[in-house]
Amino acid sequence: MELLAYAVIGGILYGIFFTLVGLGLNLLFGVMRIINLAHGQFIVLGGYLAWTISDRLGLNPLWSIPLSILCAIVIGWPLYRAVVPRLQRSDDPEMLSFILFFGIGQMLTAVTMLLFGADQRSLPEDALGSGSLGLFGQEFPDSWWWAAGVSLTALALLWLYFSRTRLGYATRAVMSERDEAIATGIDVRRVSTIAFVAGLALAGIAGAFVPYLLGSVSPDLGDGLTTTAFAIVIIGSLGNPLGTIVGGLVFGLGTMLMQTYYSSWSNVVPYALLLIIVLIRPSGLLGKAVRLA
Amino acid sequence: MQAKRTRKTLKTTLKTVAAALACATASFAAHAAAAPGEIKIGTLYASSGPFAVASLGQFEGLKFWANNVNKNGGIFVKAYNKKIPVKIVAYDDQSSTATATTLYNQLITQDKVDVLMADFGSVLTSVAVPLAAEHKMLLIDPTGSGANFFTQKTNYLADVSIPASTVWPVPLAQFLLKQGIKRVAIIYDANDFDASQAETMKTELTKGGAAPVFYKSVPTTESNYNVLLHTAKAANPQALLEFGYPPNDIAFLRSLSQSNLHFDMTFTIFPGQLLTLLKKNVGVKSLAYTYTYPTPPLVKYDKVTYGMNTADFVSAFNAAEKKDPNFLDASGYNAGIVVQKMIEDAPKFTQEDFHQALMDMSDKTTTLLGLFKINENGAQLGQSLPVAQLVPNAKGDDLNISVVYPDDHATGKPVFPAPKQ
Repeated sequence: MELLAYAVIGGILYGIFFTLVGLGLNLLFGVMRIINLAHGQFIVLGGYLAWTISDRLGLNPLWSIPLSILCAIVIGWPLYRAVVPRLQRSDDPEMLSFILFFGIGQMLTAVTMLLFGADQRSLPEDALGSGSLGLFGQEFPDSWWWAAGVSLTALALLWLYFSRTRLGYATRAVMSERDEAIATGIDVRRVSTIAFVAGLALAGIAGAFVPYLLGSVSPDLGDGLTTTAFAIVIIGSLGNPLGTIVGGLVFGLGTMLMQTYYSSWSNVVPYALLLIIVLIRPSGLLGKAVRLA
Repeated sequence: MQAKRTRKTLKTTLKTVAAALACATASFAAHAAAAPGEIKIGTLYASSGPFAVASLGQFEGLKFWANNVNKNGGIFVKAYNKKIPVKIVAYDDQSSTATATTLYNQLITQDKVDVLMADFGSVLTSVAVPLAAEHKMLLIDPTGSGANFFTQKTNYLADVSIPASTVWPVPLAQFLLKQGIKRVAIIYDANDFDASQAETMKTELTKGGAAPVFYKSVPTTESNYNVLLHTAKAANPQALLEFGYPPNDIAFLRSLSQSNLHFDMTFTIFPGQLLTLLKKNVGVKSLAYTYTYPTPPLVKYDKVTYGMNTADFVSAFNAAEKKDPNFLDASGYNAGIVVQKMIEDAPKFTQEDFHQALMDMSDKTTTLLGLFKINENGAQLGQSLPVAQLVPNAKGDDLNISVVYPDDHATGKPVFPAPKQ
């Protein structure tokens, strides 16, 4: 029973972190119908940013969070302007974005490799506290709580943005019906630019915790993270950022329960869940029902 | 009449001499033409992916050997009675077995390399083994030690720089039994290299009356051991053994350090091969008192019969590459010198003679990695791996390697149970 409790609480914490991993990917798809296959590489860049700040500048890796936002603006804004409007003018923006961002992802992997080498990099264990915190008698490392706390904060800020700001309303309108949003005079380009930058920033923030939750960061992690994020997003609901919470929790709980009872199958969880969800409820657990007639 | 006969005999003799000379000239010309201008050694390396660190180390060691050989004019090839320089033909497989399959094929069929050498580790070697056999090429296997490779007699496989993984854990199992450790937990990656070690360990412990109390596999991509460690702890083991690759060891040791769990003994494979990488990622404090298989250059072989000894290799590598070598650098270099001796000894420049030369070297050759001894299945049975513990130095800011088993190699006594950090 104690093992079950540990797996459930661990799964929730792990799942909350993976919500952050998938959130940026879902936001981009929701607003722009773009599948960012370089999402995992942006998370890896966030991890390397945290490592650079910690190892080279001697600062706490949490400083990488504001810096990730800054970098997302510096990189994301010109990247958006350079590629996204062209993609959206094409006949099949989803498929083209698939190919384009796959290429960007491979380039980022190569650049990361050139800059940092193939070695794994980790962050100091005590930077986020060297102890552990308990819940219902089950103790988890401080870094897990930090990761969950920052993820929940990011989710809360995103929710506030969607529900309390004019730009947030506009973003929801674009996500709901892009053409109608354009017709009502919403500045779709501005909304999309902000969503694109926010998506990259969320990826960068998630990257700061990768060395703690996944042991280390290395250039080759990107593709795996993209695949996991994609599975989480599909499980929750593609195009609905808040559905990512459900996807993340299902993924976290599934992984930790499998690790406890059938550990050799734990990496099959996201893909098995993905398959089941796609077969039973193609729009995802929080997706809207689709009327085909 | 007599003069006529003499003239005829002379004519016949001259004809015979001319024919013999022609044959000798033709034979010499053919021989000279057959000697290659360079010996092509085909191999793969991974510049990215989970095996990159280890693979690049092995590749650097091989290149270091090739540079040294070429500085001296090449390898003396017995079959041609001359020195021939070596050329390494190498491609990047990016740690992908699919890419590796294509590239091994290219090395064999397009580049027509003279010697085929596998990339690092069992995963990337696994696809080369059937290909080499299909093309009747001897595969020089530096570090692919998976048990499945060595199940039947073959002329096309030779494990040269690392023992077959089935024999790795034998001294460790003997050490555990000698220490009276009865409750052992084993976590291993679901791949041939790690699974075969776990299986051997389980068999040896069971034979000694100490069947593992926890025995679970994880995917090779596993990166979070927190929950698994708690599951293992619930079985109340005295020793926890983790068989994985370097990224697994890093994730495992970091999860252990963060978990506040304590085991009297913890073992992982790669601190003994990539100590610098592990220290950098896990930290000296978290690595303290961990057990491992120490490998050269952490353990040294002074008396060698071929190539540099371990200490000389460390100095030479350091001078050339401006960094200290690790085990994988040493294994790449070792693969090179084994190939060198093989070519020097082979009477003909053929794959069959290369294999026979290796068999003849077996059990008679000691290199910087220890005794070279292969069986007819191609498995390396020499170069045995002792058991060592990483013990903090007096200041506590670095680690010393203390070999604790077998007794004739021991440089210290085990600190058991490990103190709580």
